[in-house]
Amino acid sequence: MNTHELEQLLMQQPVSLLHRLARGRISRHFRSGKRKLVDLLLQASAENRPGLESDLQTLIEERAHRPQPAHIEKTRSAQARPRPAPTAASRPHKTDDHSHHEPPVSLHEWLSGIGVPPPQPFIPDAWQVDALAKLAETDVVVSVPTGSGKTYVAIEATKRAIQENRTVIYTSPLKALSNTKFTEFSRVFGPGQVGILTGDRREHSQAPLLIMTTEILRNLLYDAAGGEIDVRLDTLGLVIMDESQYLADPERGVVWEETLIFCPSQARLLLLSASIGNPQDIADWLTAIRPTPCSLIRHTKRSVPLRAGYLHPNEKLTPLFRTAGIPYGQPHLLHPEAKRLFMEYEEETGPSRSR
Amino acid sequence: MPPSIHPVDLVATLRQRNLTPAIIFLTSRRACDEAMQSFERSQVTLPKAQQEQIARVLAQVTEQFPSIAEHPLIETVQRIGVAAHHAGHLPSWKIAVEELMRTGSLDAVFATTTLAAGVDFPARTVVVTQSSIRKARDFTDLTASEIQQLAGRAGRRGKDLVGFAVITPSPYIDLTVLTKGLTGQPEAIHSQFVISYPMVLNLLKAHPREQIQSILAKSFAQFQLNQRTAVLETKLDSLRAEMEPFGPRVCSDWITQWQVFEQARKRKKPRSPFARQESPDVAARLHFLTPGRVVGVTRGRGIILRQYRSKGQHAPMVTLLREGGSLNECPASIVTQVFDRTFDCEETSVYPWCTPQTLEQLTHHLTDLPPRLPILPILTHQHEEAPIDSSIIQTLGDFACPTCPSRQACQRDFPRASRVRQEIQRHIKSIQALQTSLWHRFQERIDVLERFGYLNANAQLTADGEWARLIRIDHSLLITELIRAEAFGAIDPPLLAAVMASIAHDDDRPGSFPRGSAGLVTLLFQVRKLAESLTPHEAPPMLRADVAALTERWVSDQTLTWIGLARLTTMAEGDMFRLFARTIEFLSQLKTLKATHPSLAESADHAIAAMRRGVLEELP
Ligand SMILES: Nc1ncnc2c1ncn2[C@@H]1O[C@H](COP(=O)(O)OP(=O)(O)O)[C@@H](O)[C@H]1O
Repeated sequence: MNTHELEQLLMQQPVSLLHRLARGRISRHFRSGKRKLVDLLLQASAENRPGLESDLQTLIEERAHRPQPAHIEKTRSAQARPRPAPTAASRPHKTDDHSHHEPPVSLHEWLSGIGVPPPQPFIPDAWQVDALAKLAETDVVVSVPTGSGKTYVAIEATKRAIQENRTVIYTSPLKALSNTKFTEFSRVFGPGQVGILTGDRREHSQAPLLIMTTEILRNLLYDAAGGEIDVRLDTLGLVIMDESQYLADPERGVVWEETLIFCPSQARLLLLSASIGNPQDIADWLTAIRPTPCSLIRHTKRSVPLRAGYLHPNEKLTPLFRTAGIPYGQPHLLHPEAKRLFMEYEEETGPSRSR
Repeated sequence: MPPSIHPVDLVATLRQRNLTPAIIFLTSRRACDEAMQSFERSQVTLPKAQQEQIARVLAQVTEQFPSIAEHPLIETVQRIGVAAHHAGHLPSWKIAVEELMRTGSLDAVFATTTLAAGVDFPARTVVVTQSSIRKARDFTDLTASEIQQLAGRAGRRGKDLVGFAVITPSPYIDLTVLTKGLTGQPEAIHSQFVISYPMVLNLLKAHPREQIQSILAKSFAQFQLNQRTAVLETKLDSLRAEMEPFGPRVCSDWITQWQVFEQARKRKKPRSPFARQESPDVAARLHFLTPGRVVGVTRGRGIILRQYRSKGQHAPMVTLLREGGSLNECPASIVTQVFDRTFDCEETSVYPWCTPQTLEQLTHHLTDLPPRLPILPILTHQHEEAPIDSSIIQTLGDFACPTCPSRQACQRDFPRASRVRQEIQRHIKSIQALQTSLWHRFQERIDVLERFGYLNANAQLTADGEWARLIRIDHSLLITELIRAEAFGAIDPPLLAAVMASIAHDDDRPGSFPRGSAGLVTLLFQVRKLAESLTPHEAPPMLRADVAALTERWVSDQTLTWIGLARLTTMAEGDMFRLFARTIEFLSQLKTLKATHPSLAESADHAIAAMRRGVLEELP
């Protein structure tokens, strides 16, 4: 592609795609209009032209294969309901019109309902029950919002494995998290039942539940493949990988892949992840490479509802959106007051922004 | 950038609206520390009961982690119920803050947006003050996943009926990024598979080379490449369908035939004077021939000072600074290799096209360059039809085309048919590339390991490969080469720890540090030379002498306390802790070489034992 062709191709793309392309290449690119953005990208292309071209191709292809926004909205609203029943009423553009006609939420309403829920007996959520049931038959990938209760699934699954005289390995991406989980699990299972391996320190390395960083597990698996077994892997019944979205970490993601590729086939896998865009891909991938199929447990609804607000530097607080909750799929539904205040802010701080 | 609202006012507003406890995400550690300082001057004090609760929780955690007692902010935290939590703090302090949040004792925590710091505690409210985040020297917009991770901390299950994400602006904030992130779908994740030397050695230890391809095929990387292949294959099918009407005519390969005929015809026409006719190779390279770029020419290397076009022919030209300092004006085609290395070049509009200082610096740089430099891979796009050998045209003699019955159809269809045919070829090539790229990269690694003697010609581990595979950390090639060069002969534990620290540390935060010993300086010089010579095969580590010296001090002087060490440097305690923890990790890999390198393993063992004291002993 010569420069002229590249320029033309860039000009044909929507601005949003150009902004994605500009990420990491041009600082403060969101300040630029389309023409300027294309010029900046062409300038930046001198740095790594092949990289730019291939990213551009990828983005164009991705766009062509991405579900349309309407479709996203539909699945979201369907998931929020117990029984997915896509009727005419749940069609996105209707909701859209509807919300525009509703008056924007008042600050009072937006702030109402703050408080502590009354204590309730612990009843596992449907997705938690489902994940545990599936785990009896298959590997499981769980992708749910932060704070949903993934730890409960990890603990219950561990209990079962230990009852069946199987050992469990639990990995977390950070040493700090390993330490927190070590304390937490020691409380649940009793101190002698939980071991930790980090760097070169090992405590209770023969315990039925071992906590370690993913790097350590990867090394164990390599040692086992090379014939030098260190921790007993033949009784391994379950491998739990917390924060599995680290698979996409530029530096360490490869360690998750290595670990999953070499994970002993007799052990069940339980991958716990925050919400990601393509959890089905992960489940399909594992199904393709492992003897047991892999199920996906996914839901997008937060267990504690979220509201978004805007706080002006003069301490004035207003809802961010017209609706009290987050209007998924409709970023433009800004609250008129938030819009006005933010424009005011932009005008006041405007001059200082031109570097 | 600090938020535009004053931190004290921010917390006051949150308290007044019953939106506490809150986590307030700020751009930098400095912003967090400054926010804390601004409270020191404020009048706010907590009710007695809450102060006591904080004291109680802190006392409890301090029992387990005594170093907390020394934290300078303890009093402020107790008085105002607000704390900071970022990577500059010791892990024990972060644990204390987390415990305070878990017990609901604090009203607010200032934290940095980097989730890598491990903010894993929830609150009623999360405050976001920025829409972009510093990643590798540049600001990038937060992704929807990142925004949702931040917002995900709002609303504690069992403790809150609702959670709040509050945006308060700071300069350069882009509200659309945040609203889109809050309302949008998290991004799909992509494989980040890279093939490292230890991976190659460990795989070849357990599997013969013939099996490797099928193992690589099990990666998520290949799974995603296959998805892209599937997309291309669908396109290829539709292109093939598009090609159907253009099957064989009077001659079976009429497209080539017509193309040759066209070219022969055009050849007679004079060329337009300004036609740019550089080869695709040269054209692709032109973009990289910018001032300051190091390039290879047929004899030696040079640095580009400017690029221009010649007056008459309009041919691409460059001004080249050659080794020895001479300046040459030469056609761009003289460049045979473009290296992945550029220097700053302050340009001017007249000869020699840069300032005298730049010229002098560049001349020096040019002589100081290591013998091997990474070559920049440049994709050449052969969009133009491949030129046809003139001999073919001659041997064809008279063309049948002018009198052929199919002539009109050929003339009409040629542009489209030839375009579709090119597309088909391009797709086939891309599909092949997607299917073989991992294996090619693996083979490249095999080649290097074979050249260095870790693998034999059959890709089996040599004696050196057998132990080298146990070094499974970053910069493994440098470390194993240092061992083979006997750089660590009979090395003292402090020196060994210091060198490992300089290899392990990958942060470029500046600061002041103690001086290293003469022995350390000499050894680091050797390490640096070796690392440079390995540059084509492995990116060199930062090899900071200052962090090495700090480590040397800690290991060699056993009477030095953690506080004493912290006084010798401006490095944050959290960074010191991380540096040492990572160094211990690297050292413990050397410890695994007990069988083949007993004295090195022993030295590493001693170094680890010497490092583990004070704060470093607190955590499991
Ligand atoms: N079914 C449930 N009913 C009520 N509370 C739950 C349930 N499951 C989990 N929790 C609580 O939700 C909180 C968050 O759970 P956690 O496992 O930490 O979330 P995450 O998914 O982020 O790992 C915990 O306090 C936990 O006790």
